[in-house]
Amino acid sequence: MSTFVEKLRSYRKPGYYDEFDYHWTMTIDLDRCTGCEACVVACQAENNLPIVGEERFAQSREIKWIRIERYWEGEYPNVKMGFIPMLCQQCDDAPCETACPVYATYHNQDGLNTQIYNRCIGTRTCAVYCPYEVRYFNWFTYTWDEPLEQQLNPDVSVREKGVMEKCTFCIQRIRIAKDNAKDDDERRVRDGEVVPACVQSCPTEAMVFGNSKDPGSKVSKMMKNPRGYKVLEELNTSPSIVYLTKAHS
Amino acid sequence: MAVIGAFAYEEDFLAAAENLKASGFDNISLLSPLPLEEAQEVLGLGKSPVRRFSLAGAILGGICGFAMAAGTALVFILPTGGRTIITLPPFLVITYEMTILFGVLFTLLGFHFVSGLPAWRDKPYLPSANIDHFVVVVEGAAGEQVARAEAIIRDAGADEIRHVEEDQ
Amino acid sequence: MFDHGQPSYAEVNKDVLATMLETGPKYWILLGTTMGVAGICFFMPWFYQLIVGVGAAGMNRNAVWGTYLSNFIFWIGLSHSGTLLSAVLHITNSPWRKAIYRSAEAMTLFSLMTAALFVMVHVGRVWFVHWSFPIPNQMGLWPNFRSPLMFDVMAITTYLTASSIFIYMGSVPDFAAVRDASTGLRRRLYTIFSFGWRGTAREWHTLGWAYTFFAVFVVPLAVSVHSIVSWDFALSIVPGLHHTIFAPYFVCGAIYSGTAGIVTVMYCLRKFLHFEKYIGQVHLDSLGKLLIALSLIWSYINILELFSSWYGGTSFELEALKFRLIGFYAPLYWEMILFCAFVPLLMLSKKIRWSWNKMLVISILINIGMLTERFIIVATSQPRKFLPDAFGFYFPSWIEISITIGSFAIFATLFLIFIKWVPSISIYEVKETLKPLRRDA
Repeated sequence: MSTFVEKLRSYRKPGYYDEFDYHWTMTIDLDRCTGCEACVVACQAENNLPIVGEERFAQSREIKWIRIERYWEGEYPNVKMGFIPMLCQQCDDAPCETACPVYATYHNQDGLNTQIYNRCIGTRTCAVYCPYEVRYFNWFTYTWDEPLEQQLNPDVSVREKGVMEKCTFCIQRIRIAKDNAKDDDERRVRDGEVVPACVQSCPTEAMVFGNSKDPGSKVSKMMKNPRGYKVLEELNTSPSIVYLTKAHS
Repeated sequence: MAVIGAFAYEEDFLAAAENLKASGFDNISLLSPLPLEEAQEVLGLGKSPVRRFSLAGAILGGICGFAMAAGTALVFILPTGGRTIITLPPFLVITYEMTILFGVLFTLLGFHFVSGLPAWRDKPYLPSANIDHFVVVVEGAAGEQVARAEAIIRDAGADEIRHVEEDQ
Repeated sequence: MFDHGQPSYAEVNKDVLATMLETGPKYWILLGTTMGVAGICFFMPWFYQLIVGVGAAGMNRNAVWGTYLSNFIFWIGLSHSGTLLSAVLHITNSPWRKAIYRSAEAMTLFSLMTAALFVMVHVGRVWFVHWSFPIPNQMGLWPNFRSPLMFDVMAITTYLTASSIFIYMGSVPDFAAVRDASTGLRRRLYTIFSFGWRGTAREWHTLGWAYTFFAVFVVPLAVSVHSIVSWDFALSIVPGLHHTIFAPYFVCGAIYSGTAGIVTVMYCLRKFLHFEKYIGQVHLDSLGKLLIALSLIWSYINILELFSSWYGGTSFELEALKFRLIGFYAPLYWEMILFCAFVPLLMLSKKIRWSWNKMLVISILINIGMLTERFIIVATSQPRKFLPDAFGFYFPSWIEISITIGSFAIFATLFLIFIKWVPSISIYEVKETLKPLRRDA
């Protein structure tokens, strides 16, 4: 009986998990970002993102799990350009998750906001609820012309029409790292063992990825930087990505 | 043996029904093309037991609704949006809808149960009872009862009187 | 109640049943036309969309919800008057309900079905839509009851069930009348439909009680259904949608457009089924007064919505407000204000309220306004969310426009089938409004 009550009490805990097993987090230093879009290309290659073509791009139906947002500051001629790489913020209190009627998106024990393509029925509610607009819908079934289908990543499924998709923090790489760690005497994943494609390809090392629950990890140190802020923090979505704002002279 | 009397006027029909009731005929049916409260009063129909079905259905639906929402959330624990697993506000909406759904379905069940419909056998009936005639049917009459019932109906001013053998 | 003298009981039966039993070539031509339009404008484009993907519609990354969803709200809204109004008027014992409620409830049922079709058209993978129902499956996975869309699934299935039962139970005595007036296959069918109804005092008594309980259940249900539809929007944090006023706003708008819909349907019934004897000035006058009241409430809520957006003063809300009031869709917005807030005020004049033709025009204008209201809610909020980089634009494609037109044909088809299967005026309840037959009269 008492275990039943305890269990019920634990179910009443927001988010259910006492604490995340790992808490995958990213920091993006906007001072270092040059807007080169190497991350965009790397993501495209790693996650089998379709090339939608010029016409569909013009209809704003492109699929880019990470995009570089460009903002202008000041009036001409004193104009400054700033970049913000925008990808799924893996919010702890994600508005998109509650919206899905079929549990196609939920929060896993690593603090990731996951998307299950096979489960999705395409109501697109999650995309409406997402304040960062980082969810992308497959308006069509996209195909790869020969021999391009040879370069598809075998670790990532190819999505069909009518399915929502978004940045997964390269969950296939996290999976491999966790499996390796488990085989290796069930140890924890070490810092730097998981590197998402965008982080790996960033020439200026503007992005840092790691487990924020490990106080010694690089990402934990970066998060303490006083320049850190979260995008649209006032909406209480508790995003997992910390941006380091541009240092103004 | 059933005796059927058809009336063109509501008041004659009601008078016949009252007289029959007073003479000790219990098994009478009063057919009318529209609901008549007076006819229901003659038969002494008060509050219908349908309301118990509605209440039972609504309560059952409420319990089932919450149990479904909470139970299915526990079968496969998938946290979403930082909410609790058993989240009260949304589950109460489900409870509310299920209360109404079961309430309606049980009321329907109650209707069928109390009214005895659908009727599986033919019963004494005149089609004019569904147009503009008020019909009294005395069922299960035997021997001298038939004549007595017929007399009461005729005295009240019936247009048409018939005798019908009932299916048993 | 009756403009052309009181009919006798037998005349009521004859007049109402004649609309079902006598079918002219005009009916078949009309039915063929609506079915053809539904097939060509709704099902063929939908089929095309199923093959290529939802991309056939005009939605894009910035506006993933489009006309399909705004039409869904419109049809759900139109469904609101029938059953709700019928139930409220039944509980409050209003005699003018009796001649018009059957077709109003049919309107509810068929607009709900049309709305449900729009959900099917909207979703990306309609072939998996059953996953959103609580059906046991081999995966052991149940739907997410925390989702506002699940509220929708539960509410709409309940509403569909309850309003079908409500209209069916109210029709059982009339099915018996059809049974008695027909022969052959139709007679056998209606014997089953009518459950062997004889009209005994006990049957009437039970039906009366059951019917009142249905009405009592349906009123809170109908209010909850459109509140829940509004929560699909209001539970998001999108500026322009995240308002607490949304539930009453939607419910009021739903009853408003539904009542206008009833006026339109009444006009057609009266004109084409020759119900002049039964549907009279008193109905038109009452509906007109109701419409004025609803339009005033609607206008008030609209002003309040704008006010709270402005008073909140966050840059997101102001941006969304600006886009709505003076952006690309501003002409549509002001058209809606004109049709739904100002045109109905004409009904304050008794002369207009008593004219069938003028009321028809006003009721159609109101529903055009309500159709655009829903479109504006969907099309002007999502393209102006939070990040300026993701600001976009949405314009419906020809497929969406065609499917919208086709949905009206589907509704008309269902209604045309209905009038031949169910007496479109309640025979026994009209008799209740007649003076009882007395020997001395």
